[in-house]
Amino acid sequence: MSQPPTGSRFVLEGVVVRHDGGGGAPINALDGVALAIEPGEAVALVGPSGSGKTTLLSLLNGSTRPSAGRILVDGSDLTELSPRQLRLVRASIGTVHQDLALVPNLRVSQNVLSGRLGRLGFLASVRTMLWPSAEDLRSAHALLERVGIPEKLFERTDRLSGGERQRVAIARALHQQPAALLADEPVSSVDPARARDAVGLLRELSRERGLTLVVSLHNLDLARSFFPRLIGLRGGRVAFDAPPAEVDEAAFEALYELADG
Amino acid sequence: MGDERPLPIGARGAVILAIVAAGAAAVPWLGLTPGSLVPSDGGLTLVGEFLVRAASPALTSEADPVPEGTPPLLWRALAAARTTVVFAAAAMSLALVLGLVLGFASSSAWWADDLRGRGRLRRVVAPVLTWSSRTLMVLMRSVHELLWAVLFLAALGRSPTTAVIAIAIPYGGTLAKVFSEMIDEAPRDAAHALRSSGASPAAVFVFGLLPRALPDMIAYSLYRFECALRSAAILGFFGFPTLGYYLKLSFENLHYGEVWTYLYTLFALIVVVDWWSGALRRRFLA
Repeated sequence: MSQPPTGSRFVLEGVVVRHDGGGGAPINALDGVALAIEPGEAVALVGPSGSGKTTLLSLLNGSTRPSAGRILVDGSDLTELSPRQLRLVRASIGTVHQDLALVPNLRVSQNVLSGRLGRLGFLASVRTMLWPSAEDLRSAHALLERVGIPEKLFERTDRLSGGERQRVAIARALHQQPAALLADEPVSSVDPARARDAVGLLRELSRERGLTLVVSLHNLDLARSFFPRLIGLRGGRVAFDAPPAEVDEAAFEALYELADG
Repeated sequence: MGDERPLPIGARGAVILAIVAAGAAAVPWLGLTPGSLVPSDGGLTLVGEFLVRAASPALTSEADPVPEGTPPLLWRALAAARTTVVFAAAAMSLALVLGLVLGFASSSAWWADDLRGRGRLRRVVAPVLTWSSRTLMVLMRSVHELLWAVLFLAALGRSPTTAVIAIAIPYGGTLAKVFSEMIDEAPRDAAHALRSSGASPAAVFVFGLLPRALPDMIAYSLYRFECALRSAAILGFFGFPTLGYYLKLSFENLHYGEVWTYLYTLFALIVVVDWWSGALRRRFLA
């Protein structure tokens, strides 16, 4: 399988994301975030829920538009792209969603193959989803083999365990042939004993394929042991951006304490 | 809000009370008296004769003499059952096309910002298409298939097309309404995921959203097929060669045994279809 030589480069400049709060006052989910993530880098976003981790990830894959500021993926500003160009950028970024977002009543093979739809026209999409070629199935099988569940290829997705479904979601993202991999709280959909495996797998896969990896994590221990760079978010702002050695317990706890106050 | 005295009955109570009152008012209005439940002597005998034959449906024609060239009764019943199925199947096929097209066009999900992104043209086209298709759906299903049949009989004469269209129009309208609701209620997580991976709006809709609604849509279509069988049978009263046609003929000739033969055939048909659709559901949707 041909892989892009290097991962995506993300640059955020003065990004603000404003949601209409239920009560009327708008809430800034992200408030003036500026950062750069280099090709092939592995970054963990840490912080309490509501700190803006999910919003940041959805900005990186072009699902959310910023209220202000710019997002550059490999130099192109997502806010200025035409819908067609935006789809091309999205196709190059694989996302493993927190709720996995698979279609439960389709086969595992179909969920994996649906990762490629961003690169296909409609007729080719119908073909690959309903009458997959031997080549399609071979590549889906190879990906499932890589994530450790090759025997589930033709199983119905809702018959799988949470951990197996997460691997399907990862395989779907990889079938996109992405240049970057994003994962939102990959630990929440598996039992605690498997959490380490899940994060380790994402790290391995992105390393062997040269993908930029951005993962949001609650768990500081996991973030510390797997990632060379941690970005702490608090109330939609970057609280720290440093290698794990420079982030002590106190800095991490501060994320949570201040969020409550 | 806390200071307001609650009404003696809530909104729900008021609705229930209104329904009961309407029911009570209908009795004097329509002149419903227990006396009208007592049949006349002749009526009683007729009902008695008819019910007695339930235990002994006719196996051969009850006409005397049997007109020459008449096929055997059971053969006729089977042929009528087959015609009924064919009419229902043709009507449902057409209704499904109408239901899918109108159901998609009128569903909010088909036009939703979160699945499509923003488009200037769509701001104008979407409301026009949504409301015109919803209006069309209401018109289609607010008229019963028997009335559509009367209309098309006058326009087209008694051809099979007449019966098929008469059933397909109200059924298409109903399918469209139910389909669009099922699509709108389907979870959108997978659709969002496909969109974030660059899939086109059409692919997002067909492969992210539709599969979530499909099991319900199939189950509902199978149920409507069963309804279409009954409608096709009843349309026989207008002279289409379905079970209803022979039912009416035999009833008018006081051949009650034959009437029961045809009724049991219809009953068996519904049971078979029910069993078949149950098997399909278990096979594909479990």
